[in-house]
Order: sequence, then structure tokens, then C-alpha cells
Amino acid sequence: MTATEPEPRADGAPSEVWRRAEAAFDRWLADDPDGLSDLVATMTPVLWQVVRAYGLPADLAEDVVQSTWMALVRRRSAIVDSAAVGGWLTVTARREAWRTAKAVTRDHLSETDEMEVHLPTQRSAESAVVEADGSRRLWEAVDALPERCRRLLRVVAYDHRPDYAALSADLGMPVGSIGPTRGRCLAKLRVALIEAGEV
Amino acid sequence: MSEMSREHLLQVVREVYDERDPVPAGLVERMQAAVAAEVAGVGLDLELMLLVEGERAFESVRTAGPETGSTAAYTLRFVLGEVELLVRVAPGDQARIDGWMVPPEPMTVRAVVGDGPARGTVVGESGRFEFTDLPAGLVRLRFEPHDPARPTFATPTFEI
Repeated sequence: MTATEPEPRADGAPSEVWRRAEAAFDRWLADDPDGLSDLVATMTPVLWQVVRAYGLPADLAEDVVQSTWMALVRRRSAIVDSAAVGGWLTVTARREAWRTAKAVTRDHLSETDEMEVHLPTQRSAESAVVEADGSRRLWEAVDALPERCRRLLRVVAYDHRPDYAALSADLGMPVGSIGPTRGRCLAKLRVALIEAGEV
Repeated sequence: MSEMSREHLLQVVREVYDERDPVPAGLVERMQAAVAAEVAGVGLDLELMLLVEGERAFESVRTAGPETGSTAAYTLRFVLGEVELLVRVAPGDQARIDGWMVPPEPMTVRAVVGDGPARGTVVGESGRFEFTDLPAGLVRLRFEPHDPARPTFATPTFEI
């Protein structure tokens, strides 16, 4: 660990998010309706990121997130161990996102991709120059990754100990290639960050 | 690549996407409203089982238990419509519950212990289930049939 490397923020780390989701789910099981509200507040931002990794436009992504929550209400009995609630939600969201992404036309998806590439430049013009410069370098480093790297890293970054077998089905990648691909993608990102002077 | 730097890189990925594609304004609130409507729609109100046998044992354990350190096992019987539940409790600091549901039905059963974490297991084909190493205190059993058309039901709270 170098001096420039900060501790991961505890509140955003998946292990911490998963712990909060488990506690909220337990409170719901104990008949506290706020438990369910807190679970939704805790996990919706994660589900958004996971679903958007599939390149879905905002309206479809929102539909997928909502159907994930509906599935939780109807099929909560499938979550026998409360600690599994975070993983159950992300797997359900990925599965639905994958199905939806395959169903929509390729044209639609490529338009979305193009829009995202232009986003950083527009945003940075609106932000404070120095800060925007740092963010833009990070964005460019991530953007420079191949598409399959971006999707894989975005999905695993928000997940806590993702299950490779489930990932394989939801990413359309052989199960044996996920670990090595993740390693290569992280190495590429590291190089890009070093070149950008961020590490 | 060390574990630390992998965590750091994944944190960078999260920072990038949190900033460039944040969860849309109002999405959390819309999802909370949708979930609340769904809960109201499917009627998640717990149906409560009725204790029909073992009340005396229940009372005596409650009053005599702490003083005498009694760990005598006892049996409770609950009913809800056609469903009957027998529960055998071995109280103590590592309490044990053996349950038997008639008729058997695929369902998840949870031991909800006070404010602590819930423990879950699945009712077997025989209708039997068990929990071990439960902390002493108040507990209620909550049953979620795997058939989503069937309502969730629960026992009243009892002491183990």
C-alpha cells in the first residue's frame, strides 16, 4: 500500500452495504415496515449500477430495478439466510438486465453507449476545473477499457463476493474465464491510472 | 496485484460510475412507493397462529425458568385453519426448537429472535424443521410458503 492510496470508503464498500442490507431485511422480518424502506434505500443505488452496466437506457434500467424489488416482495421466501439478501438482489437484477438487454435492439444499445462516451466532457465543463480534471482522467482511464472489461468491472465493483457461476450466466462469459478476465481488466485499469498520474 | 490495490481499483470504478451515472433523483423514493404498494397489494399482513396447547408449560417456564434455571423441554401446539404446528422447545442459552408442520408444505421458516438477526431454514418434505443454538429470550416463528399465493403466517411470541 502506497501513501497515496486511501482506505476504501467504508460506507460505499460492498461488504458494508451488504451488512446494512442484511440488518434492514431482518428488521422487515421482525415486522418493522421501515426495514423494507431502508433495504430499498440501501440497495437501489447498487442495483442501478449493476443494471446500467448492461447498457440499458434509463427508462428500461428503472423498469428492471423495479421488477427486482417486486420479485423480492413476492419471493422473499427464497432468501433463507438474511445475509444472502444483497447477493440475491444483485443476481436477480443482473438476470433481468441480461434478458432485457438481449430483447432490445442493438441500435438502441449502441446509441446509449455513444451518449455515455460524450458525457464526461459535457459534465467537466460544468464543474470546477481542477476537480473535473481529476475526475475526467479517472473517467478516461475507465473509458479506455474494452467494453467487456467495463461491464465486468462495473458489475463486480458493486458486488460483495460475486458468485462466478451466476456471473458467467449473466455476462455471457465462460465461468473459467471470469477470474482471469477480471485480473486482466484490473491490470489494464491500473496501467491506465498510472499513465494518467492517478496512482 | 495485492488485495489492497484490487480493492482500491474497484473503489475507483465505483467512484467513476457514482459520479458519471448516479442513481437518478427520486428513484429510491419511487422504488419505496412501488414496494409499499406491492406489499399492500399482496397483503403481507401476517396471519397469526393460535396457541391451543402448552399454555400452562409456557406460563410456568416464564415464571419459574429464570429463578430455577429450569431447562425442562416443553411442547407447544399452534393451529391456523387446517395447518397444525407442533413445537418442542429445549430452553437454555443454546435453546433448540424442533418443529413439525401438518400438512407439510414447502416453505421457509424463520426464527425471529427479539431485535437480533433472524435465522432461516426450510421445512422439509416431512414437515419437520429445527433450529439449534438459539439465544434465550423471546422468539416467534414466521412461515413463508414457497407458493406466493399463500399468505405468510407466524406464531405469537414465546419464550425459550
